[in-house]
Order: sequence, then C-alpha cells, then structure tokens
Amino acid sequence: MADLPFVALSAITLAAIYGLLAIGISIIWSSLGMINMAHGFTFALSGYGAWLAAQYLSDAGPMVLAGGIVAGALSGVLICAVSFLPLHDKPNFVVRSMIATLAISLIGSQCLLWAFGPRVKALPKVFGEGTVEFGEVVFTADKVGAIATSAVVLLLTLFWMTRSRRGLEIRAMMQNPEGAALVGIGVRKTALWVMAVTGGLAGLAAVLLSQTFFVSPGSGLQPLVKGLIVALCGGLGSIRGALIAALLIGITEAATATYLGGQYVLMTQFGLIIAVLLARPRGIGGLLDETRE
Amino acid sequence: MTWRNPQIGKARPPGSRPFQSIGRRRWWPHPGWEGRRLFPRWRYPLTRRNVLWTEGEYNPKNLAREIRVIDKRPLVWAVGLVLLAVAPFATEDGTILSAASVFAIYAAINLVWMLVIGTAGIMSLATMAVVGAAAYGTAYLSITYEWPWWSLLPAGAVIGLLFGIVIAIPAIRLEGFYYALLTLGLAELCRVYVIQSRLFGSATGGLYGADTHIPDDWSDTGQLRFAYYCAFALMLAALGLYRAVNGQRLGRLLRAAPEKNEAFAEAIGIDYRRARIQVFLISSAALGLIGGFYAAHFKGASPSLFSMDQLLLMLAMIVIGGLGRAEGAVVGTLVVVVIDKVLVDWGPVRLILIGAIMLASVLFTRAGLFGIKTQFRAWREKKKSERRAKRQEKGGEVVPEEATEIADKQEIYRRRFDKQIRDYLKTLVTDEVVEEHRAKPLGQHSEALDRLLNYFRRGPMADKYAVYAERPFESYRIVALSGQRGVPPRLVNDRTYPSLEEAYHAVFLLRVNDLMES
Repeated sequence: MADLPFVALSAITLAAIYGLLAIGISIIWSSLGMINMAHGFTFALSGYGAWLAAQYLSDAGPMVLAGGIVAGALSGVLICAVSFLPLHDKPNFVVRSMIATLAISLIGSQCLLWAFGPRVKALPKVFGEGTVEFGEVVFTADKVGAIATSAVVLLLTLFWMTRSRRGLEIRAMMQNPEGAALVGIGVRKTALWVMAVTGGLAGLAAVLLSQTFFVSPGSGLQPLVKGLIVALCGGLGSIRGALIAALLIGITEAATATYLGGQYVLMTQFGLIIAVLLARPRGIGGLLDETRE
Repeated sequence: MTWRNPQIGKARPPGSRPFQSIGRRRWWPHPGWEGRRLFPRWRYPLTRRNVLWTEGEYNPKNLAREIRVIDKRPLVWAVGLVLLAVAPFATEDGTILSAASVFAIYAAINLVWMLVIGTAGIMSLATMAVVGAAAYGTAYLSITYEWPWWSLLPAGAVIGLLFGIVIAIPAIRLEGFYYALLTLGLAELCRVYVIQSRLFGSATGGLYGADTHIPDDWSDTGQLRFAYYCAFALMLAALGLYRAVNGQRLGRLLRAAPEKNEAFAEAIGIDYRRARIQVFLISSAALGLIGGFYAAHFKGASPSLFSMDQLLLMLAMIVIGGLGRAEGAVVGTLVVVVIDKVLVDWGPVRLILIGAIMLASVLFTRAGLFGIKTQFRAWREKKKSERRAKRQEKGGEVVPEEATEIADKQEIYRRRFDKQIRDYLKTLVTDEVVEEHRAKPLGQHSEALDRLLNYFRRGPMADKYAVYAERPFESYRIVALSGQRGVPPRLVNDRTYPSLEEAYHAVFLLRVNDLMES
C-alpha cells in the first residue's frame, strides 16, 4: 500500500480535469437543453490553440493556459452559433441539436487533421519540471499545478455564477428555461455566454490533460466519453453531483490503473456508472425531468 | 355490358316507387367494369394486403378509365431494388464493387438500427458495438475452433442476443439521453477492450482469417459480385425484418409509445416496456447475425468497427435519409458510402463533406431527405395562407373568421367579387361624370356613368333609394325601400326636389356617396 498517496493524487488530478469537462456538459444540458457532443472537439481545438500560443506567442505557462481557454471559448461560441441558435425554437430540437453537435465534431476533427496533420504535438510544461515534497511523498509539479489551477478556476466560475448578474441569468435558465425567458432573460444571449464559459473550462482541461498526454486531432474523444460518463453519473444539470461523480470516477480510474492494469479502466468505470444509474436513473444529483419542465 | 337500374341497391322504404332523378334515363348503360373496382386489385397470397394502393376513376372530361396509384412507394422500391440487383454488371471496377457490398451490409445494419431509433424512438448508439462484438466473437470462433462460415450467422445472432439482453436492461430504466450517452460509452469501451486485448488481436490490429462464403477459386470480379449478391440478400432480409416489425403490431405499439409519451401509452393499455425489450432483442439478434455475416464477408474483424468515426458515419447515413423511414436508411447509406468509399482520393475532405451534409440536413430539414416533400408542402401552405390573409382587407369582403360562420359559401365569393367591382367603380367617379349625370339623368351616357348606374340598379332591394312623388311635377322626396313586403319605405331626409330630374340626380349623389364610403 506504499503507493496509496500516489493513487490519491492521481485520482484527484483526474477528478479535477474530468470535473471541468463534466460541469461544462452538465451546465449546457440543463440551461440549453442540448447534449453537447462537440465538447470533445472543443477539447481538441483548445489543445491546438494552446500549442499555437506556445509556438507563436510565448511558451510561458499563463500564456499557454490563456491560449487554450480562449480557443475553447471561441469553439463554444461557434458550436452555439451553428447548432443552438438556428435550432432552438424548431421542432424536435433535442435530437436535432445532438446530431448537429455530432456533425460538428466530425467536421471539426477532420479539419484539425487537415490543418495540423496527424502528428501529435506536445505542449510545454506549464508548471515547470519541479517536484513538491510532503514528508516522504514526492508530488510532481504538473499534478499539483493541475489540481490547484482547476480548483481555482472552478471556484472562480462558481463564484461568478452565484454573484454576477450573468451568472444569475445562467442559473435561472438552468432551473427553468421558460420561466427565465418569461422574466426577460434573453435565451440566445445567455446561451452564448454559457457556451463560452463551458468552452473555456474545456480549454483549461485540455491544457491540463495535455501535460501528460499529447495534442492530436482525435484527442477529444476519450475526454468527451469520460466527461459524459461523469456528467451522467453525477446527474445532468447538477454541479455538485458532477463534482462528486468526478471524484468517484477519478478514484476508480486511478485505483484500477494501479492495481489491475490500464485496460480495465473503462470497464470498472462502466461497472460503477451502471450501478449508479440503476440505483438512481438520473445520476447522483440529477433533477427529475418533471421538475425541469 | 349490362343494363342496370342505377337505383338498385339503394335503401328505400318497401313499396315506394324508386326515386328518379330528373333528366336521367331510367336505365343506364353499365359496362362490365363499372363500379368502384375499375381495375382488379392484386393481393399478396394468403393475406388481405394489396400489392398497390390504387384507386380507379373515370376521368370527368372524357370518361376514360384511369388508374391512380395513391401510394407510389412500392413502385419506387421495386425499380430501385431491380437497379441495385443489376448494378454490379455495369462495372468491373474493384473499388466500386467492394463499396457496393459495404453499402449493402451497412444498409442492413441501418435498417435494423432504424427499428430502435425510429420505430421505438430510443436513441441507442450501441449498434456498432453489437455488430462489432458479434463480428469479433464469430471471427474468434472461426479462427480458433474452425467453425464453417454458415455457422457464423446463427452464432453471431446468439452473441448479439446476449449483448442485447445486457443493453436492454438499462434501456427500460433510463431516460433517452442518459441512454444515448451510456451506449456511446459502451461502444468506446468495446473499442478500447479489443485494442488492448491480446485474445482479440491487439498485436495484429484485428482478427483475420475467418472462414468465408466467398469461393476463392473464382475470378476477382466474380468473387466481388458474389459477395455483393450475398450482401444484397442480407439487405433484403433486413428490409423484410423492418417491414415485419415496423408495419405490424409491435411497430404500432412502439410508435404509440415514444419518449415522453409513455404515460399515455400505458393509460391506453400498451405494455411499452415489454414492447421495447422485444424490439431490442429482435434488433440485437439481427445485428448479431449481420455481425457474423460481416466476419465471414471480410474474413475477420477490425477495431475500426467500434470507432467513433464509424458510428458518426452510420448516424450520418440514417440522419441524411430521415429517421423512421426504411427508404431513408437505404438512400442515406448510399449517399454516404458513395462519398466515403468511392471518392477515396479526396482524403479528409470527404468526411468533412459528409459532416456538412449531415449538418445541413439536420439544420434545414425536419426529417431528412424524405421529409423534404411534406416540409415543403407545409411551407407552401403556410405561405399561401399568409398571402390570403394579406389580401383580405376589410370593406365588404368576408374576413376569415366570418367565413366559417357563413353556410352558403357562394356568398363569400359573391362578396369578394362585389368588393373588386366596387374598387374598380370608385376609380370611375369623377367630377365630369357627376356633372354629366346632373345635366342629363336619363338617356344615353358615357361608358363610365353607364357602368356606375348599372351597378347601382343591380343593388339589393333593401335600402334601395327611390323617388317618392309627394305632389307630381311639384315636389319630390327620396325614400329608402325596406326590402320587406308590407313594410313601407322610410324617408331618407326632409329635402324636397321641384323636378323629377333633380330627384334622380340626388339619388345618384346618395348612391355615389355610399359607394365612396364603403
């Protein structure tokens, strides 16, 4: 059991990164009523955004992070403009918007492949190469940095969502979209904000995860699936549930990878999520659909 | 030809004389084909189903017998399937022939998938996972235990059925999108598993070397054609399954209980859970069978079966054609396979093109390619009614709300016509015309004045102005007729006119005034 702290640290790192993605998916679902399957594309695009920033502007850590976040936000706005704005008042919106986002992710990943080629790109180390020691346990800087950055950004986002006017509008739309529209909250404008913020979160997650993995055109799929699993498990529409689920899934992944082997990660995660969903069909903190409507 | 009384067979009180319509002959010639059945209708043997839904009718202009096909889809299907059946002889090109087999297999998969996603309305993305699992399982059986190719189909069906049981359990418990996401993750799980599992050829990138139904001593083109015909037969079987499930009781139950309508379905006595499990098991077994066929056709299986891009392509196929239609599944598959497999040298552009088509079909159409017709008609009706509403200004003409209240529809058209006439007559009223009438109320007039007077004379009796001779040649007054028998006219005003001509002109001025005010 010597590697218990290591497992714990990996679990928390993964939980932080998946949490960023899952909260985005969850917020989009509850406020816009749309399943954003193009979140993986946002992820991949922001990886390239960060890479471009590092290549052409400066490879300082904040600059790379900012590049990723800005690219993610832009991609979120693009997805909103293509799949939400034209469709949100049309019949059969939910299915059609999901297919539209899937089409965007297909087009997007092929465009990335076309523009940047199939070779993977490595991002510079944002948090340096150093290590942090707690007693006899040694933590690498990128893990500690990932946890710290995502915690700070998440707290900032939550603070913004509870305190600012815009955040209030977003939360109103999450609770009851029609009611929000009735009291004069612009659905389209708020949707753009939601997509920009969640895209920025996904961009941050992309930069953080690319500290360990590489940036490639298809790199968005795995995080998308993980993010979806976490969002599902936590319940679509519940931020608290998503955080709990991210932690659970992170612990499962780290523990499975350490004790059983990497190829069983998805299986144990699936076992977990199916168990959770069979017990609570709408996830840990999911609202009943009737309440939403 | 027989001579028959047209009234025979109509119910009338016993003993009464048959009612004769005036001006018609008592005996009417009836040709042998007379009646509603102008043409024989063919039925499928042992059923009451008609091959074609037709209606026979006499052309009202020349009384020629005419047959009208109400539902032309069977004809289109027949022509399309015949074309597909003779298509492989049009080319020798290996790329096109192998793409044709791929098309037939994917069309079969999509038809079965359409049962779940269209008929049952469950967004299941586990299709390729089932096909892939069956393909891998049967390829493994064939390679390791040397099972012959014909046993791969039932073996695949069994594997698919087992898989179907696994994925059907969450389906009855989960909401639509939770289920879509779960099945998406399931496909990803399968992909990661077969990539990493040594048992399923992680080293060689797939399992290869399964037994195949394609004879290897034939020429290359012959082999490809044979493979295509086998795949085509598979597609026909899938079409039959689609029709048997979608068109029969199970399909109707499922279509009555789509997502969000479960409570209603339950209230009218539909056991939708049972129906959904049934359709899951049927479609999973069929997909497994197709997976077994896939393994025999490609002599193995590869992890690309489970890939996200593959799933997206399949989704593009059914979305482009339109959800819930067999023809949509087949035509969508054709479009996507042609772009993906025939235009190979385009590189990544072809996937972008497919994505763009998919996006366009989802953004602009409600139900894909085959929903365009209904959507266009609805749009045209909408435009028509908008234009109609714009035309209908007030002023004598019937507004739409009023039109529903008027039983005599002729009246609506008469008033519309009247309004047009009045609009025209208003343009004729000028000072010269009034002056002409003042100078000479009776006699020959100019055309404009004539038209005006004619219109005034045609007016209804009620409220028609008339000249009343209080004292002949001395004093005349203007009255308005009541239009009802026994009710006397009423005086319009208290002016008197010394001569009949002046009274005529005063009536004219009143009428012109009324016209201009209307």
